[in-house]
Amino acid sequence: MARYLLTRAWQSALTLLLSTIVVFFGVRALPGDPALALAGEDRSPEALEAIRHHYGLDQPLPLQFAQYVERMAQGDFGVSIRTGTPVSSMLTTALPVTVELAVLAILIATALGVGAGVLAAVRRGRPAEWLANGLALIGLSVPHFWLGLLAILYLSVATGLFPASGFVPILEDPVDNLHHIVLPAVILGTGLAAIIMRQTRSAMLDSLSSDYVRTAKAKGLRPRAVITRHALRNSLIVVVTVVGLQLGGLISGAVVTEQIFGLPGFGKMTIDAVFQRDYPVIQAVVLLTATAYIVINFFVDLLYSVIDPRIRVTGDPA
Amino acid sequence: MTNLSVSETSPLRRRVLRAAVAAAAAVCTVVACSPVSNGGSGDQPGDNQSAGQDSFGTPADPAAVKQGGKLVIALSAEPDALDPTLSRSLYSRYVFQAMCQKLYDVNEQAQVVPQLATALPTTSSDGRTVTIALRQGVRFADGTAFDSAAVKATLQRHLTNARSARKSELGPIDGVDTPDAQTVVLRLKQPFAPLLGALADRAGMVMSAKALQSLGDDFASAPVCVGPFKFAKRVPQNSIDVVKDPNYYEANKVHLEAISWRILSDASIRAANLRSGDAQVADSVSTQDVGSLRQDASLSVLQSQSLGYQGLTINIGNVDGVGTAPKPINRPLAQNAKVRQAFEHAIDRKALVGAVFNGVHTAACSPISPASPFSSPEAQNCPAHDPAKAKQLLAEAGVQTPYAVTMLASNTPDTLRLAQALQSMVKDGGFELKINPVEYSSLLDEQDRGNFELLQLGWSGRIDPDANITNFVGTGASQNVSGYSNPQLDTLLTQARQAGDVEERKKLYGQAVALLQQDDALIYLYRQRNLTAVSKQIQGLQVFPDGVIRAAFAGFTK
Repeated sequence: MARYLLTRAWQSALTLLLSTIVVFFGVRALPGDPALALAGEDRSPEALEAIRHHYGLDQPLPLQFAQYVERMAQGDFGVSIRTGTPVSSMLTTALPVTVELAVLAILIATALGVGAGVLAAVRRGRPAEWLANGLALIGLSVPHFWLGLLAILYLSVATGLFPASGFVPILEDPVDNLHHIVLPAVILGTGLAAIIMRQTRSAMLDSLSSDYVRTAKAKGLRPRAVITRHALRNSLIVVVTVVGLQLGGLISGAVVTEQIFGLPGFGKMTIDAVFQRDYPVIQAVVLLTATAYIVINFFVDLLYSVIDPRIRVTGDPA
Repeated sequence: MTNLSVSETSPLRRRVLRAAVAAAAAVCTVVACSPVSNGGSGDQPGDNQSAGQDSFGTPADPAAVKQGGKLVIALSAEPDALDPTLSRSLYSRYVFQAMCQKLYDVNEQAQVVPQLATALPTTSSDGRTVTIALRQGVRFADGTAFDSAAVKATLQRHLTNARSARKSELGPIDGVDTPDAQTVVLRLKQPFAPLLGALADRAGMVMSAKALQSLGDDFASAPVCVGPFKFAKRVPQNSIDVVKDPNYYEANKVHLEAISWRILSDASIRAANLRSGDAQVADSVSTQDVGSLRQDASLSVLQSQSLGYQGLTINIGNVDGVGTAPKPINRPLAQNAKVRQAFEHAIDRKALVGAVFNGVHTAACSPISPASPFSSPEAQNCPAHDPAKAKQLLAEAGVQTPYAVTMLASNTPDTLRLAQALQSMVKDGGFELKINPVEYSSLLDEQDRGNFELLQLGWSGRIDPDANITNFVGTGASQNVSGYSNPQLDTLLTQARQAGDVEERKKLYGQAVALLQQDDALIYLYRQRNLTAVSKQIQGLQVFPDGVIRAAFAGFTK
């Protein structure tokens, strides 16, 4: 186990370093100049030069990279070129919003997806399965932005049930916070719920037709116990993998959802930073996302052994 | 051309052009619009306003508005640094309007009026000494006194900060004197007429000397000025909040308790927020949405013709990048003014704005807005839409038709629709237009490097005409991306900048426009209308031709 952890940690560090290099040079390979984007209409050669100098953009690229890595090692993400705000403070404001949105979306998606998946498997060939399959198809095919727009149109503009935009931090007013974030979370969770439903359904069908379920039934266990304790538990291994992998996808889905609902999260920050060529913000965001992916995958691997004791972690993760 | 008719645009080969003509004809039928192509006619009041008259909003009636409440304004883009010295975006001007007053302001007629000054400045007979009298009994949001020392500290920061965006706007200032606490004297190396216009914008915003001292380059993190509201909180890329300032000298005229600008870049999302009541104001309404918003009984749409323009820049000498000496480019479009004139004659501006912008924006042929006090019949002259003449000019220039031109343009839906309409339109004039859409940051980059043949971009406009012309067409000017140079034009622009008299400047700008249309390095296409949607719950919100939303003295209706 210890050897496994060490190997994974080493691999993660290497992945992070590679991501840093790719992001740093990749962003600079984009056409467009942050100084120009910042100078906007009022640009003059002197102003452009002053901006480049202020943000160290006039230094040779390898030197800029060395300085960047040095600052990162000290936990300093730099200052946003667009707003002059320290990137770390932007992250501390944006991160909780996205984390809350993602966690809520995943909870909603898992509850809906697993529930519908089990139902579809148990009630195979009946209207309940058709309904669940139909809804899953819609959930998969309809893009977030379209669903978001419809939700705003009917649940905010027409009925006034939910606010159309804005955010209240959870510590300021938990009820108002939930009121603002529940609709975006549901929208964000729909696609994932559909995927979870389909995976749960097929894993459950597999489990239900397997020998151990037959044995459990033969022992005279009640159907509910057979489904939850035997079939579902084994099916969850697939669900956990899917949820883990999709959590990364949620971050990209959050980009669109946050944009539509005006939530001050990570996604909105990323989009704006890319358009404004705000290098320090893009770098910080991509690096944090990469870190999140690595950590999530790591925990998903660990979770396997908790759910299914037959899977043991060894020194060779491959 | 006295009115638009189908025969003038035939043969119609493309659907887009047919749509263009149909839409423009429909607009013209409804409102009997008059052409801009007859020299001089564009100066008439009401001209260029085919989608209706401007409506700037009216001041609030104190008896009809409630005290208190938080106004939410949905903004289409994020303001940059809230620092009058460093700010470079239009959107920060919206926020500044509520919390950073200026020495001068602009009124509905786009005229400069005093704000923190008590009267328009007095200028010495040689034009080199400008004296400004300041309001008395005024305090900054931090409670410190507003006086000539604060004005001096502010102007010196504008002039000396390495990243200052104001330095060039302030022109040839040699020094700032403060004979007493209520008087500021600016000494100039030579006369500089655009100074007043600059002092009616960010260069004239006065910052608290105490805050400048304690915050330095971080002033934007907690800006302190004189204003009806003071800075409260900013969540980057999301919102900016200000609250009523009890120190403001006319605090009794301020009805709202707070204003929040919420950044919502998508136009339909802004409209949805307005309809749901989450926001009461939305800026930059799309011309596609104006109709439906106008039909909503709970909303009104304010519109004012902007001082800026949208146009086409032709690269005639920008080889090594903007600001470097022009070099010859071996293309007929770059070398021969006749080819450029032919391109201009191939464009039917009226049909263009009709089809692409539902006739809301207006055709434009010069950098001087008809809304400007410096406009004249000469400045509004417009080369006629005449495809036959375009072909004739191309023949005279000895180029083979169809003559292929590649246009670099922004990849936004509005610009792409404009580009496609242009593409089908100029075909009749003998041009084959290819569109190369790129994202905005890349467009700026390519533009400055000179990597283009023709490009579409615009300018949001300033009060003083000099700020809308010289920087773009003056020899070696910082935004002369065309690489254009005409010494005769340079002389005219210098004279206009140093002339103190409005009539004289008007005449000089009229002559400048004639030269611009002769050389056609920049073809002006249309002028945007500033479109702001406002809930009828709100009274007293105004938008003047400078495009800035004035929300500070608004209030919720009782």
